[in-house]
Amino acid sequence: MDRLEAFFLSRYLKAPKRNLFRFSFVFMVLGIVLSVGILSAGLNLFQGYESTLRSLLLDSFAHISVQAADGSLLDQDQANEVIAKLRTHEDVTSAIPTLHYSLMAQSDAKIRNANLKAYDFSLEFPYARYIENYRIPAEGEVIIGHYLAEELGLGIGQSISLIYPQLDRISPLGIYNGLQSYRIAGIYRSGYYENDRSIVIANLKDAEQLLLLPDTISKVELRIMNPEKASAAVRELTHLLDPGYLLISWDTYAHSLLQLVEMEKWLIFIVFAFLVLIAGFNVISAVSTIIIDKGNEIAVLKTLGASPRSIKRMFAWRVGLAALLAVITGQLFGAFLSWLVELQSFYRLKGDVYFIDSIQAGITPFNLGAVFVISTLLISLCIILPLKQIDRVQIISLFRRQT
Amino acid sequence: MIAAAYDIRKAYHDSDQIIEVLLGTCLEVDEHDFICITGKSGCGKSTLLHLLGLLDAPDTGEIHIRGQQISALSHDAAAIRNKDLGFVFQFHYLVEDLSAAENVALPVMIAGQSSAKALVRARELLSILGLQDRLNRYPNQLSGGEQQRVALARALANSPALVLADEPTGNLDPGHSTEVWDMMRKLNRELGQAFVIVTHDVEAAAKAPKRYELTSGVLISG
Repeated sequence: MDRLEAFFLSRYLKAPKRNLFRFSFVFMVLGIVLSVGILSAGLNLFQGYESTLRSLLLDSFAHISVQAADGSLLDQDQANEVIAKLRTHEDVTSAIPTLHYSLMAQSDAKIRNANLKAYDFSLEFPYARYIENYRIPAEGEVIIGHYLAEELGLGIGQSISLIYPQLDRISPLGIYNGLQSYRIAGIYRSGYYENDRSIVIANLKDAEQLLLLPDTISKVELRIMNPEKASAAVRELTHLLDPGYLLISWDTYAHSLLQLVEMEKWLIFIVFAFLVLIAGFNVISAVSTIIIDKGNEIAVLKTLGASPRSIKRMFAWRVGLAALLAVITGQLFGAFLSWLVELQSFYRLKGDVYFIDSIQAGITPFNLGAVFVISTLLISLCIILPLKQIDRVQIISLFRRQT
Repeated sequence: MIAAAYDIRKAYHDSDQIIEVLLGTCLEVDEHDFICITGKSGCGKSTLLHLLGLLDAPDTGEIHIRGQQISALSHDAAAIRNKDLGFVFQFHYLVEDLSAAENVALPVMIAGQSSAKALVRARELLSILGLQDRLNRYPNQLSGGEQQRVALARALANSPALVLADEPTGNLDPGHSTEVWDMMRKLNRELGQAFVIVTHDVEAAAKAPKRYELTSGVLISG
């Protein structure tokens, strides 16, 4: 910035009302603030959705599941051996045996499909944080998902029936119908809709009795230090076990989903970036208006010996500074919008469509940088393009028009 | 000699018409000259001044500034306009967003001086022109005569060899007009500042030591 440019900029800053609050300028700034705000808010909300989904997937499911490679169930000795071996690895923070089965949950005439997850509560139970007023369920007690309870019209202390038809056990009276009633000891609510709608958490002993599978588990659930590197951990842990075991990391199932969400996030970013481009058209119009409005000033400066480059930079600094402030204000406005959307309670996501039902915003330095860089680039381009008109300003034709 | 125009020809194209305004015009300006050019409207007086001020290029002919031939299209033209020439127009063309002192300081800053130095020079000039109490006024807070005196001060900011004034009082009432004429004569008399003034004011021009009338595209000594 040369002395002349610095001088003009300082004058504009000292008297902003005189210079910045012109009609076209105000609408230019408003357009930038709104478009950048919407771009920021869109990205923040998608980032929040992605982060919430990722953290729920990591917190509500095992980071790595160990099961028999042929799909058969494990007996208690096999499970203990697997757990003992895997615990020797420094990355493994917990290894717990579980029994997972699909069954039916019933209350009066209402029947819903459910996923039974049975744990030995004398060992650790990693999902206690999702249960309000958690206490270890006694024998004959279960914890059920929030939406399952809602659909069946049940609450804590009431009774729920779990049905597991034993299709391979046929008596002269028909199919052996495994049906047991349990008292509800707690409500599970993680925010991950599918779990909240179908989960039934029971004691391992109760599950073994219901399923007629004594001393049996279906898989060992592992939690590791760095779940983001679960695939690498699987490769290392596989070497600790016999070949008959299959280790599956959480991202085997979730990878595509998270990739899709991330892709959607950046698609939204691109779509909303077009709003900034549209605001940029407003900038082109405002700068063109200023050039026409200040035609005499430009002609005088050229007459006095100022170079077109210097004059262009003077205008660029002036509009650019206002645009820069507008971009930053837009980002703050976007954060405010995200906060408002997070705060409101009249609209919730459809859990059966979006997996989670709450709206969270996530602000990351990378996203802030991306919005700032893209907005600044687009707006700068829209400032620079019309300034080329200054090269074509003919001093004589401007003066002649006045006389 | 500080400026000269030799055999200048200039024509304008208007639709399918060619209007020839200057047909081999010559003018030489020496130091301390006070030259007035009169003529009918549209005869080419302003065009001659613009050509002499390197704001426009002639079709044929030569413009010399301080003995050097120079074209309005050359890269040096802007620097010469800044340092060797001063301009006063019929309308003051002051920058509305700057005060009187800041307007006068502009040519000095364009020449590369700091704003502090430029403002010192501006205050000095505005005091000479009797505007020492109008330094911080914006153009719209000044009278027509004051605006034109600020424009005159701006023209003198870099101590140019020649001030070119195009109808400097054409937009003023008789009182303010006299004020500006007196000021220009005083500057010429006391500081030796050279002026070339294009005007319709035959009475004021009659008092100039050198007078020309532009007729049929050539200057005739009056």
